[in-house]
Amino acid sequence: MAKVLRYDRGIRLLGGLLACGVFLFLLAPLAVLVISSFSPTTSMAFPPSGASLRWYGEVLSSPDWLVSFQLSGLLVLYVVPTTVVIGTLAAYGLTQGDFPGRKLIQALALSPLMVPEIITALGLLYYFHGVGLINTIPGLWLAHSLVALPFVVRAVMVSAAGLDPTPERAATSLGASRLRVFLTVTLPLLRPGIIAGAVLAAVTSLGEVAVSALVAGANTTTVPLRIFSAVQFQLDPSMAVVSTLLMTASVVVMVVADRFARISEAL
Amino acid sequence: MTRATRRWRGAGYVLPLVVFLTALFLVPLVQLLRLSFNPVDAYNAALPGFTLSHYGRVLTEPYFYGALLHTLLTAVLVAVLCVLLAYPAAYLLAGRRPGTLRTVLFVIVISPLLTSVVVRTYGWVVLLSGNGVVNRVLVGSGLIDQPAQLLTSYPAVVVSVTHVLLPFAIIPLTTALGGLDHNLHRASQTLGAGPVRTFLRVTVPLSLPGVVTGALIVFALAMGIYITPLLVGGVTEPLAGIRVYDQVTTVFDYPVAAALSFALLVITLLSTTLLGGAFRIWERRLYG
Repeated sequence: MAKVLRYDRGIRLLGGLLACGVFLFLLAPLAVLVISSFSPTTSMAFPPSGASLRWYGEVLSSPDWLVSFQLSGLLVLYVVPTTVVIGTLAAYGLTQGDFPGRKLIQALALSPLMVPEIITALGLLYYFHGVGLINTIPGLWLAHSLVALPFVVRAVMVSAAGLDPTPERAATSLGASRLRVFLTVTLPLLRPGIIAGAVLAAVTSLGEVAVSALVAGANTTTVPLRIFSAVQFQLDPSMAVVSTLLMTASVVVMVVADRFARISEAL
Repeated sequence: MTRATRRWRGAGYVLPLVVFLTALFLVPLVQLLRLSFNPVDAYNAALPGFTLSHYGRVLTEPYFYGALLHTLLTAVLVAVLCVLLAYPAAYLLAGRRPGTLRTVLFVIVISPLLTSVVVRTYGWVVLLSGNGVVNRVLVGSGLIDQPAQLLTSYPAVVVSVTHVLLPFAIIPLTTALGGLDHNLHRASQTLGAGPVRTFLRVTVPLSLPGVVTGALIVFALAMGIYITPLLVGGVTEPLAGIRVYDQVTTVFDYPVAAALSFALLVITLLSTTLLGGAFRIWERRLYG
């Protein structure tokens, strides 16, 4: 028995070590950026020769980066309400409703996730050319909303699937109108899914580049797009700074939201 | 409430989504499909009419069909790597009771999802560059004499794409492993099976739905990924997504880019449907 236990512990240790390796692999490229962002020189050599906030100052005083930060922030403010309203209504209808074609619409709602991103990007590029939305903020707003919508639908569907119909029925029998029932009973019950969906939409919009790279232009360079073009031409610690700021923004949004909803269950 | 209204209960709620996706997803895809059959003039501008010549080019020019084949093989390789790497991580995560450590591990798993694909890829560019960490370790340990050209190499593309897509394999696997009944493990061990045998004969088969879900998602995403391989591998990397991007941004040949996109879409949908269907048949045969 003792031998089996030792053997068991060995296997466990091996598995744990493998898992640690995987976690390290996941973290390594992100950690390297955070550390490089404090480099005092123009070199991206790792590890940096010292620590300074020089590049933070440089990024925060650069008009180009500030314009991009404003644009990215503005897009989040547009994309989150759009996708949350459309996605919440749809998730509720898909889980609680009963109508012909329900399964088909559910497949449609999640299909942007399964279609290769380059196709969505090319489709929007050609379409936006026709309607004059290339290199415009409304164009990016619609494109980001399209990419983020399936995440919101899926997150709210998790909450809506476990919805207890009793409170809604009670409110209806007490004379509340359908709208009032939805706003005052249903929505609060769906709150965890809605918050998770809103976070995913915000994070998706903040990081979106596959579709934006084709439909944006010189006047609509979001933060990730500016990193995208900068990485292709030069490497200096300012991009590490921006990456670190972008990551921090996402983590803050996530941690704050996690206090209200279990994001982990909505993925 | 009449029978007819009950039949359409809840349909109004999905209406905004249907309108939105029709306008911004279905219509663009249909337009793109029609474009892929349009003839072009000498400047690659689309003309009215119908031709199969773009699909002909995609299927006969090695520049295109080679890229499709290479993309398919790369997506399979990445899906296999992701499942193999996801397993130990998901196993560790699923076995932990909720607490600070589990939350930290979970944040690490989804941290790539919370950061822009450009940021993650940029991290790899820094790691793999001429004076990057990987080269320093390789040179410092005496494995190689001088820094190797790691960027723009195929292994670098596979590693970075695997990194970007790994969370999509870990999440469904964690769900599948977390839902396992621990009594089955105890039963297996009581009946005399060792930990390895229990793992291989009980845990792995029961987690297969999670493995298949994760592998299919990673495969589908890997088929269309282009930003990461473009930054790490360069524009010459023969992947379909990069070829489409290149046709659009430098050659301005939209119809052939559209044809290549649809070839990629058909291959992706066929592969995922076939693999998913095969798994379901196999599962039914196994469990009746």
